[in-house]
Amino acid sequence: MKSTRHILRALAAVAGMLYFAGAGGAFAADAKKDLVLNGDAKCTRCHDEGDDYPVLAIGKTRHGVMADGRTPTCTSCHGESDHHVNKPENAVERPKPDVLFKGKNRSAPQAQNGQCLACHQTDAKRSHWEGSQHQSADVACTSCHQVHTAHDKVRDKATQPEVCFTCHKEQRTQVNKPSHHPIPEGKMACSDCHNPHGSVGPKLMKRDSVNDTCYTCHMEKRGPFVHTHEPVAEDCSNCHNPHGTTAENLLKARPPFLCHQCHTPHGGQVAQLAGQGQSTSLLSGTSSGKSGINYTMARGCLNCHTQVHGTNNPSTTNPTPQFNFR
Amino acid sequence: MTADRKFAFRMKLLAAAALALHVPARADEREDLSTPSSTVSVGAGAVSGDSRERSLFGQYNGLRRDDAFLMLDLDFVRRDDATGMWTTLEARNLGLDSRELRGMMNRQGDWKIFGEYWELTRWYPRTVNTSLQGSGTTAPIVTLLPTRGAGSDLDLKTERKRLNVGGEKFFGRNLLFEATFTNEDKDGARLFGRGFNCASGAAPPPVCTALASGANQWALLMRPEPINSTTRQYEAKLTFIGERGAVTAGYWGSFYDNGNGALTPTVNGNLNNGLGVPMGTGTGVALTAGLRNILQLAMALPPDNQAHQLSVAGSYAITPTTRATFKYAYTKATQKDDFTSNGLADAPAGVSNYGGRVDTTLAQVGLTARPLPRFSVNANLRYENREDKSPLALYNIEGTNRFTNGTYSLKKTAGKLEGSYLLPANVRATVGVDYEALDRGQFSSPECLELATDCIGDSIAGISALRAKTDETTYRAELRRSMSETVTGSIGVSHSDRDGSSWLKPNSLPATGSTEVSDAEVFNRTGIFPAMFMNRKRDKVKAMVDWSPMERMSLQFTLEDGTDKYSAPTEKGLQKTGMKLYGVDMSYVVSDAWRLSAYYSYGEQVVNVAHSTGYQMALKDKNSTAGVGIAGKVSPKLQVGADLLYINDRNVYDQSLDSLANAANVAFLAQSGGLPDVTFRDFRLKLFGKYALDKASTIRVDLVHDRQSLNEWTWTGFAYSDNTTVSLKPDQSVTFVSVAWQYRFR
Repeated sequence: MKSTRHILRALAAVAGMLYFAGAGGAFAADAKKDLVLNGDAKCTRCHDEGDDYPVLAIGKTRHGVMADGRTPTCTSCHGESDHHVNKPENAVERPKPDVLFKGKNRSAPQAQNGQCLACHQTDAKRSHWEGSQHQSADVACTSCHQVHTAHDKVRDKATQPEVCFTCHKEQRTQVNKPSHHPIPEGKMACSDCHNPHGSVGPKLMKRDSVNDTCYTCHMEKRGPFVHTHEPVAEDCSNCHNPHGTTAENLLKARPPFLCHQCHTPHGGQVAQLAGQGQSTSLLSGTSSGKSGINYTMARGCLNCHTQVHGTNNPSTTNPTPQFNFR
Repeated sequence: MTADRKFAFRMKLLAAAALALHVPARADEREDLSTPSSTVSVGAGAVSGDSRERSLFGQYNGLRRDDAFLMLDLDFVRRDDATGMWTTLEARNLGLDSRELRGMMNRQGDWKIFGEYWELTRWYPRTVNTSLQGSGTTAPIVTLLPTRGAGSDLDLKTERKRLNVGGEKFFGRNLLFEATFTNEDKDGARLFGRGFNCASGAAPPPVCTALASGANQWALLMRPEPINSTTRQYEAKLTFIGERGAVTAGYWGSFYDNGNGALTPTVNGNLNNGLGVPMGTGTGVALTAGLRNILQLAMALPPDNQAHQLSVAGSYAITPTTRATFKYAYTKATQKDDFTSNGLADAPAGVSNYGGRVDTTLAQVGLTARPLPRFSVNANLRYENREDKSPLALYNIEGTNRFTNGTYSLKKTAGKLEGSYLLPANVRATVGVDYEALDRGQFSSPECLELATDCIGDSIAGISALRAKTDETTYRAELRRSMSETVTGSIGVSHSDRDGSSWLKPNSLPATGSTEVSDAEVFNRTGIFPAMFMNRKRDKVKAMVDWSPMERMSLQFTLEDGTDKYSAPTEKGLQKTGMKLYGVDMSYVVSDAWRLSAYYSYGEQVVNVAHSTGYQMALKDKNSTAGVGIAGKVSPKLQVGADLLYINDRNVYDQSLDSLANAANVAFLAQSGGLPDVTFRDFRLKLFGKYALDKASTIRVDLVHDRQSLNEWTWTGFAYSDNTTVSLKPDQSVTFVSVAWQYRFR
């Protein structure tokens, strides 16, 4: 055992010599030279990419553009951290920086966000951060954003949803159902509809209302139409779950059961199943066939009421398009 | 651990740290680590199966139609450190239908211009078999297919092509101007149709039954809706940035232009009856001229429309601990698409277009303050007034019953008051109250008086009861511990109560308007009242715990439960909805080179609906989702990863009858035994391997294996009146493989 200890001691000594005489010497030569940001030498004299806290990648980001006078330095975000830089003699452990963004000693969300908002509060997209659901729920900027990397996952629509799903578990399930927006395919991201930094709309909608947000891509539903379907004009989410459903067209339930939540006509039996609709006494060659008071088939109510979003047909002659069927 | 071993361990750590970690990066390494780099990726991919086999997998990803693909991606980033000028070009999926290209020049803190091209093709997962000619046009021709399945296969799709350009410019440090323009063309066709049953209240004799001698005439047809439209959006914003806040004034214009006006089909020959044999076989008559004419009537396609919005919004720090937010917006939306030029006839006399106009005013003000270090308060008030100013006319005349068009106005007032206090042990307690009131007007059709005639507002027609006003109050409380070494979490509960004004009962035709009545007067045992008007009690609980039992591991537990109970003066209609969600997530850093993550969640959603004919439906969606991911380095040159997703979703249609169910419903349910469950399963495995050829080049191999199973009975055993059928391969298995060479450069 003693021999092992001697070998290890020797190794440690050699390593120490190498560090201080070789690589350390190189460090000494440019001891106070900033590496990436103005004034970063205060930090990079100890921290670089090989450290537990890799920092140099910030140079790849917009926070690393020294030509932009607004660009922060390490202490702009982490605080002056004098006690961390100059460990007090009586301190057993080196005190942490004034503001920490991760790890078990991370600062309070308000303290973290205060550092970011010092610059970003005035961005138009963040004007309604204060009072927003995420702000109220103590979500820190770094809960979603990664600052020291060229690729911030939440700013790439292909990877953004997995960040949001960290908290929004129900939506993680829904987007993988057969009827969904192209979120798993990376063609849409949560931020196409939501502004996570706060908005005037409900549910952090990007536009002022659910419908205004939907209309940005589905403007054909906006009308106004000669014949309006009131729940449609009021809120698309009365009938649709935009995150995904098993029923077609993101419908919350399959017609006729969705329609039955407001309307009486046409029953819920689906007649083509189990031989219904065939040569039974319930249907005949002159009956209404596949849609009646007791049963529907296929798309249910939508077979005939195809234009549930409203129709602009002005015809006053019978049959008029009043009930949104043409 | 013995003292010797502890010592040896410390020595190893010291040696390793000194040798490996604290050797600072050299200049070239530093530059590499801190300077943006670019990548280009070129390769090829292939996917198994045919178009039907991958109809679920290939809905959006561009992998439905073709078997082999060029894989071409580019991420070019160039920065001039002296000027802060960024030049970027990002291209994704250039070889696929889902291609994207985005370029940008940006002198950071000064100006920016960008352009983006984006394509998305959405393939309808089901295949249509039909004899229809002219699918996707405004004049399709319907002909009875002799036998089901003997027609041509038709895969419907919609293609979006979007161009987005814009820029921004700072004027000094306090003024920022931003402008964007977006143009999107959408083409293709989607599933659509028409059905009609003669005789009908909407088409009383002699319109539909004259030649049928009183026998029912019925038909249901699939006609794809042709899509050929363009949307344009213009947005300009000017932001003033001050010491204490910012204010943005903006304009947003959005325009919809549809190249198609109406869908006007031709129906040739006879069609099938409800039994699936040509009309007139055995009983009744062949397709009558009356019904044929109705089936050939023009169907209005979405009209051109536009909206202009002016807004001013911002935030202001009243004191260092008090901040206000605000927004005011005025939107004018119009729809004046000409009827005749769109092929739509028989408009009311003197009316050439709808003349639709909706003005919306939005005002919002919010206040957040921290009057005490541990206490914060948050208040918000939002008012939205949607005024439908479209002119009234008599668009529907059925004998003595006369109906107007359907205008719909809505005033929405929402408020929030919330207080939050930081208790000892870093526990934050929050209580709040939310209020929302909706005022839809009186539905009394006063406009009919303007028209100097008895008439019915469209919003009243066909409805048994309405409500002008509803209001909902929510009380909520939450405890959150957001600062802890190992455990953080939250639990929140809320209770909402929605009520409203007295119910409105439409007056009997042909009288005008509706009358406000008591619950007793409007009570209808079998009546179904629109769910959005019904009283509702909503209870929710949500809890989340993050636990890090060790440095390398974190666990997250989630629980959600919610119930909505509806009530109205009826025994039918929507009665109850509910949801549950339980989940656990785990991430584990196996070593410096390997990471593992996994999750499982179980969710339930229920909807209970009772129908007037005596059936009761308990819909239940039960869903289990699990995922496992692992990624790591096998060697310094080889990186691998795997992601597994498993979904098991079951929709249960639990149908039962009450004691007053009619005979037909009893017979139907007895015959079918109820509706089968709808099940969806997805097993998706993604694998990747990345091998570094040298410092700049890598070879990447991706493999995706996806097995989806969807057993859904919407189209089972069903054929349209022309024998058109719609089908989906229920069990699909797809494997996708790609190999790409990636090169990184600066």
